[in-house]
Amino acid sequence: MSSDVTLLSVSRAEWIKFRSVRSTIMGVVVTFVLTIGLGALITAAVRSHYNEMDPLRKLTFDPTSVSLGGTLFAQFAVGVIGALFITSEYSSGSIRSTLAAVPHRTRLAISKLLVLFVSMLVVSEVACFVTFQLGQAIFSGVVPTASLATGVVLRSVVFAGIYLTLLSMLGYSLGLILRQSAACISVFTSLLLILPIVVFLLPQSWQVHISKYEPSALGQSMMSPTAVLNSFGATSALFILVAYVALMFGLGVTLLNRRDAGASQ
Amino acid sequence: MIKIDHLSKRYGDTLAVDDLDFEVKPGVVTGFLGPNGSGKSTTMRIVLGLDHPSKGRTTINGKSYHDLKSPLHEVGALLDAKAVHPGRTARNHLRALATSNKIKLSRVDEVLEFTGISSVANKKVGGFSMGMSQRLGIAGALLGDPGVLLFDEPVNGLDPEGIKWIREFFQSLAKEGRTVFVSSHLMSEMAVSADQIVVIGRGKFITQGSVDDLTATAKGTVFVRASDRQALSSALESAHAVVHQTNDNALSVTGLDSDRIGEIAFGCGIVIHELTPQRASLEEVFMDLTADSVEYGSHPRESPHE
Repeated sequence: MSSDVTLLSVSRAEWIKFRSVRSTIMGVVVTFVLTIGLGALITAAVRSHYNEMDPLRKLTFDPTSVSLGGTLFAQFAVGVIGALFITSEYSSGSIRSTLAAVPHRTRLAISKLLVLFVSMLVVSEVACFVTFQLGQAIFSGVVPTASLATGVVLRSVVFAGIYLTLLSMLGYSLGLILRQSAACISVFTSLLLILPIVVFLLPQSWQVHISKYEPSALGQSMMSPTAVLNSFGATSALFILVAYVALMFGLGVTLLNRRDAGASQ
Repeated sequence: MIKIDHLSKRYGDTLAVDDLDFEVKPGVVTGFLGPNGSGKSTTMRIVLGLDHPSKGRTTINGKSYHDLKSPLHEVGALLDAKAVHPGRTARNHLRALATSNKIKLSRVDEVLEFTGISSVANKKVGGFSMGMSQRLGIAGALLGDPGVLLFDEPVNGLDPEGIKWIREFFQSLAKEGRTVFVSSHLMSEMAVSADQIVVIGRGKFITQGSVDDLTATAKGTVFVRASDRQALSSALESAHAVVHQTNDNALSVTGLDSDRIGEIAFGCGIVIHELTPQRASLEEVFMDLTADSVEYGSHPRESPHE
């Protein structure tokens, strides 16, 4: 049957909610500061030590991924933005008025995902393009630079923004599943930081096959203009990460539909 | 109209709602009364489609909540006034709710004005007092101008002026032909604000009726002071009344009305000094009805109200 509560109207409502809390604004500011600010610090540090760098490393030096280094820190900020978008509804209890207004839970979850996707894509792409250009400007004259006119470089910068966007969606999906901010942020951080350490403790022969599936390794592949050793190509890495997000989001929506939403946490 | 149709809800080992079956009709304020933990909030959450029933179903105007075309236009609810993101302003909270149901934004200002919180509309909800939060919750419930309204313990945290306002407000909603369903654990509150009352305890239906019906079903006692207490006491007992001697040397008689007691006294030639029917208060009725179903009762349980 037709409903007045459409994907569009719910998305517009969720957009109001998304931008009307300080955590989102702070998260976006932190994303810019980490991506661009730390990116500038990293490139400046590399520039000042470039001449002492050994020749072999100079040969494989990649000005694109180095200038995008700030995303390694910003990925936590975008994850938190995504997670809080749903976990704050549970911690405050506003999930009840939300679901009373929008009883169709799958529609609600998709609307939130759309709002997050569009807004974080804009934020992430702006941050990545700015940090890339700023990084090349800092390198200029001392360190070899990359240009967006090169197809693979442009792709790397675009994919860096998509990587951050997908991680915010991953944080959101974890939020749907776990419902608690603290639990969600711990799991998210573990996936990005602890998982590589655990894999590192495995026998070498396993590592080669497993580590390339880690979200952070997929990010490295996506942001690199050239192939990374023992890793997926940029496009395959993108598809695998999308599959992770789809899987987690699917699980999150299933749980959202199945669980009671009313009882206080 | 709200219909609760053989509703049961189990959380793990606890049966929070046990085969509840009743209707809430339009045009009157219906009180939903029960001790804390008796399943009132659970029932309301199921009506709003937030919790899934274990058995049975609930409908609003014949439809399940999930099938309502525009939920906020049909049902307004205030479950927990503090359940709003503390960092969002009152206006933005209402704007988001309105937008999701395609309610025009001018309505947000109307409900803010009506509930008297226009002056704090652009303030963050986290700083609101309980009374202001309750008013914001009511504003949210009224957004879609719905015909069915549910309020869970709306009086909690309100000051006397707010309580008076909310009672009159419920009555005016009912007079407009709306269905008004208000839960409370306070009998005294329901006695003054509700027309119809549904009483539950431990998730089970206990009784339903008007405030007058409920007090009438209670066993009334008659307070008697007479010249010859002993003689009157035995005369009344032989007429199958239960007679207690009160502290101030009077009699408390159950099982006979005041007319009959007067006639018996007259027949025995006993002078009556005072003959007062004691109408059971709604509070006492409630205590009687729910004595067995208070989850966290204080002991001893023998007639705590005497």
